[in-house]
Amino acid sequence: MNNIYKFGVLIAITLVLIGTFVVPIPTIPGLYDKARIIYLHVPLSWIAFLSFFLSMINSVQYLRKKDLVYDIRSNSAAEVGFLFTILATITGSLWAKFNWGSYWNWDPRETSIFILLLIYGAYFSLRSAIDSYEQKAKLASVYAIIAFVTVPFFIFIMPRIVESLHPADTIVDARGKITMNPVMLSIFLFSLFSFTLLFFWILNVKIRMEKLRLIRIQKNNI
Amino acid sequence: MYDFLEQNAMYIVLLIALIIWAGLFIYLFKIDRTLKKLEGEEK
Repeated sequence: MNNIYKFGVLIAITLVLIGTFVVPIPTIPGLYDKARIIYLHVPLSWIAFLSFFLSMINSVQYLRKKDLVYDIRSNSAAEVGFLFTILATITGSLWAKFNWGSYWNWDPRETSIFILLLIYGAYFSLRSAIDSYEQKAKLASVYAIIAFVTVPFFIFIMPRIVESLHPADTIVDARGKITMNPVMLSIFLFSLFSFTLLFFWILNVKIRMEKLRLIRIQKNNI
Repeated sequence: MYDFLEQNAMYIVLLIALIIWAGLFIYLFKIDRTLKKLEGEEK
């Protein structure tokens, strides 16, 4: 990745932060300025979903081609996804404190994200429990594919089938009509785009780091 | 002092967020540069 990309990310995220805290937003009853969290919380959740998806895709590729590079990519994506899930949980929890009065309420949305963290926590435990690289990669790939099956359920389906306090229809309503104010929508979409750029940079660094680690381990074993 | 913090709360939060982001960016940039050097040594 070249320096133009990196400084582009710097400028984009800086603009997102300025837009988040400075640009006036319309009055939303019950939320007011607390609605600004949407510029950060939703993109973090989106990145978590995207990285778990990439982890699953690379796991499938590993099982097809048996190339350790795919396992490195899958593991790196899962690690970055886990980090972003924690960040989404923290931002959501801070918002809950000021809107619901408590950091943690075991709301369906909070419970589902907690279970998702446990599922991917088990993925890392599984990886660390096996010494053989090939066996670790094979088992972890199968696990990552099965784990991803639960992601859409816990992120999109469960919070909608159970009654939840979590705001819904903030961007689009059930009929697919955009409900968000145009100014907010443009900052929100720009934030999604900027965080996606940041994610690919972090993922790139993580993958290269793991590749170097593998090369050094293989050299030491020879 | 308290009045100042209360009236400018958004700007103070923005400043803190920008400082954290700058730190994160410098950290990531440094790791990237170190990695590039190490990759060069491996080749």
